[in-house]
Amino acid sequence: MWLVGCLAEGLVLIAILVAVTLAWDWPSTRWWLVGAAAVLVLAYAAIVPRWRYLVHRWEVSDTAVYTQTGWWARERRIAPMSRIQTVDYAEGALSRLFGLATVTVTTASAAGALRIEGLDRALAQQLVDDLTLKADAVEGDAT
Amino acid sequence: MSDATAHELVRDVEWQRLDPRMLLVHPVREVGRFLPVLIGLFVAGSASGGGGAWQYLGVLVPITLGVFRYYTTRFRIAQGRVELRRGLLNRHVLSTPLDRVRTVDVTSSLIHRLLGLATVRIGTGTASTDSDERLDLDGLPADRARGLRAELLHVAPAADAAEAAEGAVDGTGERVVLRFDPGWARFAPLTSSGAVIAAGLFGGGAQLLNELGAFPHLDTRDWSLGIPVWVGVLIAAGGLVVGVAVLSVTGYLLTNWDFRLSHTPGSWHLSRGLLTTRETSIDDERLAGVSLGEPLSLRWAGAARLSAIVTGLGSGASSSVLAPPAPRDVVTGVAGRVLDTASPTEAGLVGHGPAAARRRYSRAVAPALTVLVVAVAVVVAAGWSWWLLAVPAALAIAAVAVAADRVRSLGHALTDGYVVARSGSLNRRREALEVNHVIGWTFRSTWFQRRAGLTTLVATTAGGRQSVTVLDVPEARAVELARLALPELTGNFERRD
Repeated sequence: MWLVGCLAEGLVLIAILVAVTLAWDWPSTRWWLVGAAAVLVLAYAAIVPRWRYLVHRWEVSDTAVYTQTGWWARERRIAPMSRIQTVDYAEGALSRLFGLATVTVTTASAAGALRIEGLDRALAQQLVDDLTLKADAVEGDAT
Repeated sequence: MSDATAHELVRDVEWQRLDPRMLLVHPVREVGRFLPVLIGLFVAGSASGGGGAWQYLGVLVPITLGVFRYYTTRFRIAQGRVELRRGLLNRHVLSTPLDRVRTVDVTSSLIHRLLGLATVRIGTGTASTDSDERLDLDGLPADRARGLRAELLHVAPAADAAEAAEGAVDGTGERVVLRFDPGWARFAPLTSSGAVIAAGLFGGGAQLLNELGAFPHLDTRDWSLGIPVWVGVLIAAGGLVVGVAVLSVTGYLLTNWDFRLSHTPGSWHLSRGLLTTRETSIDDERLAGVSLGEPLSLRWAGAARLSAIVTGLGSGASSSVLAPPAPRDVVTGVAGRVLDTASPTEAGLVGHGPAAARRRYSRAVAPALTVLVVAVAVVVAAGWSWWLLAVPAALAIAAVAVAADRVRSLGHALTDGYVVARSGSLNRRREALEVNHVIGWTFRSTWFQRRAGLTTLVATTAGGRQSVTVLDVPEARAVELARLALPELTGNFERRD
């Protein structure tokens, strides 16, 4: 999914570059710029999604949710079960093609949302149910 | 909510309008809001000549809007909820459960005070910043506003209702922690607010002049007053400094006059303001910690300021200010009283070691050095005077000094149940967050940081700036800190390391 997403973004970028080049009526020597951009995009698409896949982890225990995301800047987040406020389930256009979904767990802090991307749809739905039940079982208003 | 003595709440069960005196306030305020447009209309009208009556009709529009605003706004407090209904074309109904009320602000601007009114702003934990989503009861009689506040806060279950009621009724439970001293205004020019006010005035003035078409008439040739240019520049700069100082002192006095921080059992009370008075109550339970701001300029003067990290109040909310810029020992004293322990603001901090120090230097110096190198290249290439390099060179030296200060500032601690973190130089901040208000941890590390064995630990919370950041702490120490703070949470993390 990330691979395709990357390629799509890269294609858009290249298309914009081409359009700009045409629109500004540059001499044809500027095409090497577009070529360089294409190479960069391909390299990015080849390396980053795989790197991302290697880094990304998630885990749900009885007391907390853990995630690890990122590639260059790596982020690990912990949210205690007792502080969970909402559990979001989302399927983007792209992820639906692959039968995947994203689960977002938010706490009362604007800085603390946990995103678990690219989960299998059935697993994601089960995770949502599971989290909702567990979060519901804890007393208090989660702040 | 079964409380029979809560007569304020019982009385407000039916939908009702705000105080009729708001009929005077709204139109005036709408006219103020439309003032630039009105002036524009007026100028355009005079310029095109004739059509005098139309210009005065323009004033009627905002007045009508103001009257409508009054008649379309109603509120009620019923069935355990506060509900506010407003809007003429877009009807807007806001509703919130009483037990989610976290703060209640009572504000009265000058015009409100003349009429004996006040605005009650009910703060819930919402992260929404849209002004339409705020629960403002704009325009209640002042004493009724205070009564409403007392009732709302007692109903919130977080406060010990009986104890709080007792404190409010006989007033004996109140102890004053901080009282304003006009001498503190000397710190005002050292804060950035003066510059902001000056910039705002300057911008507004320029725009107004522009609107009136004044700029084309300005002719630089008229400016020769028989003095050298550099004297003129010096005078202008001196005037600007004095002007900013005067403005910032005035601003400081206007907002902080009669600043008073007091505590009654169950909550903290703040009141301040010369023209616009503002009273805020913060529930004890919602007070998650404090943030001690020590910008470089204030530190030189031996001053600091203090704000509270309050659940449900964003950092932008000026109602969380616990102490205006004031002498440092006064401010730390207040922090000690507020937190019931002095150690979060007084205790020594654990440094983050040589790797973090190197990172501070490299991050500060690298951009300045890049600028310097580019500048040298440009000067050599273009054959300009070497004196032009003085600015980038000074920048590089300043960067080193700032980095050294950042290294000194960096530190963290875990004392008395508070996570304490300090970082920054020009805008140094020391934040103390109570452990049981930490609602999650984030460990963030870039590739560079991982190579240096460092990580940035972020404790997220529901108030203030939403998080407290422990910058560039050694990785093992970060995990240990998180584990010590909340033992039951981080077990899995250690296993994974």
